[in-house]
Amino acid sequence: MPPPNTPEEGALATASSEPSSPEPAPVPLTAPNSPSAIGFAEFKYIFITKLDYQAIEYVGEVDDTLLCPVCRTPFISPITTPCGHTFCRECIDRALETQSTCPIDRQRIRKTRDYHLCPLIIKEQLDRLMVKCPNKGCNHQCPREHLEGHYKRRCDFTLVQCTGPDCVKPITRRVARKRLGGCMHDEVDCRHCGDKVCSMELDSHYDNDCMGRVAVCSDCRQVMPNPSMTRHKHEDCPKVDAPCKWHSAGCRVFKRRELVKKHEAEGCSFEVISRMLQQQAEDRKRLDEMARHVARCEERHARREARRAARAQAHATAHGTNNNNDHRSIEATHSAAHSAEPSSDGDGDVGGSTEDYVLAQFERLESELEILRQQSRDMDARQSHIILQHAAHFSDQIAEIGSKVGVVNMHLSWLMSLQRQSRSSTAAAAIAGAAASVASGSSSGARPGSSDGSGWRYSGDDRRYSEGGRPESLHRL
Amino acid sequence: MSAGFAAKRLGKELQKISTSLPPGIELVTAENFEEWLLDIKVLDSNPLYENETYRLKFRFGSTYPIEPPEVVFIQLPDRPIPIHPHVYSNGIICLDLLGQQGWSPVQNVESICMSLQSMLTGNSKNERPPGDEDFVRANRQRPKDIQFYYHDNDV
Repeated sequence: MPPPNTPEEGALATASSEPSSPEPAPVPLTAPNSPSAIGFAEFKYIFITKLDYQAIEYVGEVDDTLLCPVCRTPFISPITTPCGHTFCRECIDRALETQSTCPIDRQRIRKTRDYHLCPLIIKEQLDRLMVKCPNKGCNHQCPREHLEGHYKRRCDFTLVQCTGPDCVKPITRRVARKRLGGCMHDEVDCRHCGDKVCSMELDSHYDNDCMGRVAVCSDCRQVMPNPSMTRHKHEDCPKVDAPCKWHSAGCRVFKRRELVKKHEAEGCSFEVISRMLQQQAEDRKRLDEMARHVARCEERHARREARRAARAQAHATAHGTNNNNDHRSIEATHSAAHSAEPSSDGDGDVGGSTEDYVLAQFERLESELEILRQQSRDMDARQSHIILQHAAHFSDQIAEIGSKVGVVNMHLSWLMSLQRQSRSSTAAAAIAGAAASVASGSSSGARPGSSDGSGWRYSGDDRRYSEGGRPESLHRL
Repeated sequence: MSAGFAAKRLGKELQKISTSLPPGIELVTAENFEEWLLDIKVLDSNPLYENETYRLKFRFGSTYPIEPPEVVFIQLPDRPIPIHPHVYSNGIICLDLLGQQGWSPVQNVESICMSLQSMLTGNSKNERPPGDEDFVRANRQRPKDIQFYYHDNDV
């Protein structure tokens, strides 16, 4: 990124070494015989991060007319378009990559070729804007034109390369200036406590952690480890001026701590007020908490209502097709129970949700039970239907078997009668032969004749049947 | 670098927005430099939009402000989608300012909100864009990928 308009150091810039300076005639690097030891050492440091002009903070309000309409920061190396609008060089370059028109009035602009120099009066205004040094820890403020020089050459907090020959980690210039030579990331022994400390952090170790180094309080002459000194001065030292414990309530007493302690012990008149204020603050905190709690409860309630409504709707749609009247009535009782319930459950997230859960489970089980009932009913009907079908089949077969048994029965009786007939005819022939040989028309012969008469009747029936049915029944058998 | 560019510019905008905004525009959330939510209201007594607040969702890419952000209306229980012949019922807005052609890096979140306010104010048609249902059903594209045809210069 090019530095802003004429980022020139003031008269102090002895060793002008800006690598990316737009000035056409950079001052040649200082001759090796002229600089002091410090100057040479500083020149040697290679700074690592470039100054980011878009990120720097300006002191006070910057006039809107000096802001680039694209990036909304005060112009950085501004240019002016043929249509008279001014932008940062970088911003207009970016904008023209997607659309080759002026972002403000959409006139055609060619990249670079159509850029005009920005009026010097604008540059001057920009140069005079006061800015803060972007380095953490540095409170330096200067006109923007001097920032580059401050950042690159003088600011103690600029990150530079470590002085170690092979080390590439950054250190601040302040650290680099203090110890020349040797890597600042090596661990060294603290001379007071013997702890291993990174040499860069040695100073802060002495001030904050080292318990081996002692110091004497300048006010009360007490001796203590160095890191405890700050706390001692702030909280304990009886010779240091301190405010009364109740100063927040308005007590103006501000004198040596030992006197303040005495004042407090005697009873500060602001104590009562202060305690009241504290009480009030606590009350307010409690009230806030309660208000939050109420809000939470209301929100939960609303959510629950919404869930319930959604569930009721879902049920209604699910059972709308079912046309199951008693099921509906169950649903109705459920919803009645629900609408009666919210008044009883007032608070408690857990209670509400478990109750909801149980109710939901109950409803689910209820509907499942209903489904099962329905299924068993269906199953029953299907079973009885199957049984009926089978039974019909069986009864058909039984009827057929019955008829066949009848046929067999008839055949049997026919055969029996046939046999009987043939036997009786032979008997009759024998009798007839006997009668013919003994006597005819006697009354004693009438009894066998009557018994034979029945046999005749049989055979007559049989013959009548056999004449038409015998071939068929024989065929059937 | 370019992501940083967007973040820096948005940081500046946020700084300004959180101190002052024109009437009828309110910042809801801006927790990162990717997505912001703002509420807008129509201030005059247009019966279509009176007493309603609309929620806008801005999504910024790493190329902002060189390229436009994605701006849609989103629907919440108390934040409907305004009815307008250039606003689809899923919240997508057909406005040349938000397209590649109509956009300019000079625009910002505030100016977009004001444009949308005036777009609503100037409208008197109580209708959705033609083909709204089909568009809403079929559209799976991001708003910035849709090729709108900006034909209507009255609204």
